[in-house]
Amino acid sequence: MILGERLQSKAVLWPFEYLGGELIKVSTTLSRFFDYLSEMLITLMTPPFRFKEFVTQLYLIGYKSTPVILFSISFAATATILEYAFHMKLVIQTAALVPGFAALLVFRELGPVITAFLLTSKVGAGMNAELGTMQITEQVDALKLLSVDPMRYLVVPRFVATILSSVVIVIFADATCLFFEMVMSVRHLDYSWEGFLTAMNQFTQFKDFYLGLVKAAVFGAVIPTIACFYGFNTQPGAEGVGRSTTQSVVSNAVSIIIMDFILTYLFSYLY
Amino acid sequence: MLEVKNLTKRFGSQEVLKGISLAISEGEILFVLGRSGTGKSVLLKNIVGLLKPESGQILLEGREISKLSEEEYFEVRKMCGMVFQHPALFDSLTVYENVAFGLRRHFPGMTPEEVKKRVTECLDLVHLEGVEDKLPPQISYGMQKRVSLARTIAVEPRYLLFDEPTTGLDPVTTNAINRLISELSRKLNTTSIVVSHDMHCALEIADRIAVLDQGQLIALGTPSELLKSQVPLVKDFLAEITEEDRSRWLS
Ligand SMILES: Nc1ncnc2c1ncn2[C@@H]1O[C@H](COP(=O)(O)OP(=O)(O)OP(=O)(O)O)[C@@H](O)[C@H]1O
Ligand SMILES: [Mg+2]
Repeated sequence: MILGERLQSKAVLWPFEYLGGELIKVSTTLSRFFDYLSEMLITLMTPPFRFKEFVTQLYLIGYKSTPVILFSISFAATATILEYAFHMKLVIQTAALVPGFAALLVFRELGPVITAFLLTSKVGAGMNAELGTMQITEQVDALKLLSVDPMRYLVVPRFVATILSSVVIVIFADATCLFFEMVMSVRHLDYSWEGFLTAMNQFTQFKDFYLGLVKAAVFGAVIPTIACFYGFNTQPGAEGVGRSTTQSVVSNAVSIIIMDFILTYLFSYLY
Repeated sequence: MLEVKNLTKRFGSQEVLKGISLAISEGEILFVLGRSGTGKSVLLKNIVGLLKPESGQILLEGREISKLSEEEYFEVRKMCGMVFQHPALFDSLTVYENVAFGLRRHFPGMTPEEVKKRVTECLDLVHLEGVEDKLPPQISYGMQKRVSLARTIAVEPRYLLFDEPTTGLDPVTTNAINRLISELSRKLNTTSIVVSHDMHCALEIADRIAVLDQGQLIALGTPSELLKSQVPLVKDFLAEITEEDRSRWLS
């Protein structure tokens, strides 16, 4: 009886308490994030730049993740062309528009977005766990004690290296996708190699390609920023590291989708 | 001269330090004792600015440092070294690189030969050899702690904070490290604060001993003053000291 009453009053209060609590949590996290962001941008724009760390990160982020990204994205390209062919044949009874549409989708969406998601899971999660472990084992404190700014030494090199890697990987990803789409078109849609390129050229502009790279750069900036933020805020323990990595991957995925929408919307004014 | 005045620190609703006041003069070795969780590590981290106190002052050679920005702290920290409770080695760098890390940063003019000489010297001081090329996860915990000690003393800071430098080490190494702390202060006039649970060693090498309990300083004095103390917790800490040792230290 008493338990029932307590549960009842709790149930009445619960949503408000819960909402209030969550609101406070979100707003403190956001304010911490913006403090961190402004500090990072200031550090980024003031010398010195840690070139050696940057090169190391470029190797780890760019070179090491390129193969897996290109491998996975080739399947996405193949699936796209099959889907398009199916739809087009259904609606307009011809595959004439397929190369153009498929290439557009690759440049504008598939290339940058799938690359960003793969980078989030490959690079972002690793970066987060690494910084999180450094944070809870006091390595970050030890850096500060040796007069090294963790922002300059850890975050900025990762930030710049991920942006650059993301752009370069997307260029390769675009090329890989086109290649596989071409192969599929030649094999299944009776295109010749030149025929595919001609059909593609009717629809695509150079703008489609480089605006895709702008997206890649933005995603490349979002991923390390969020991963390192959660890394620095990791709580002690294996559970803490796990939670931090999950939060970082989810926040990154959500942010990438939202940024993709915002950029696509903004770019629509450029056509 | 390092002064801590009325320092308070809280985490949320938990008040960890409740008004600590201390003064340590040049070349002095101060031991800080206290039960687990009383805020010893928090005190050290406040002194070097890794945590910011809620109120109170920290004066390093007369300069108030507790309200400095992170940037300004980098200058101050060139004078201070801290050995953390965890080894806190950079685990992507080899043992050698860990010890050389601070040297390269603090003394950019050093030649590679000079760096190598100093690194070897510091590793010798903590009784380590032949591990230069290993990564931290490949050596034992006790070895990691000693590397961490070597990394800190390599840059010869004038103020040294040790957070349980000998916990978990074998008796031989423990003695060596305690001797090292004492020598640093005698030879280089280093000012040291040592958090420790090792009562014998505290009585042996400390100039003064502070006892912390629940965020407050309950005793502060020379080893012989402490031996005469009537504060219950202090007496508990001293319970393991035999009458024989007691009279030796008192005389
Ligand atoms: N970053 C932190 N956030 C929240 N609470 C903390 C933090 N650091 C320490 N505390 C709390 O402060 C108290 C004192 O911790 P501290 O690490 O200083 O203890 P200690 O005296 O060094 O103990 P030990 O001998 O076990 O190392 C503990 O109750 C701990 O929970
Ligand atoms: Mg401690």
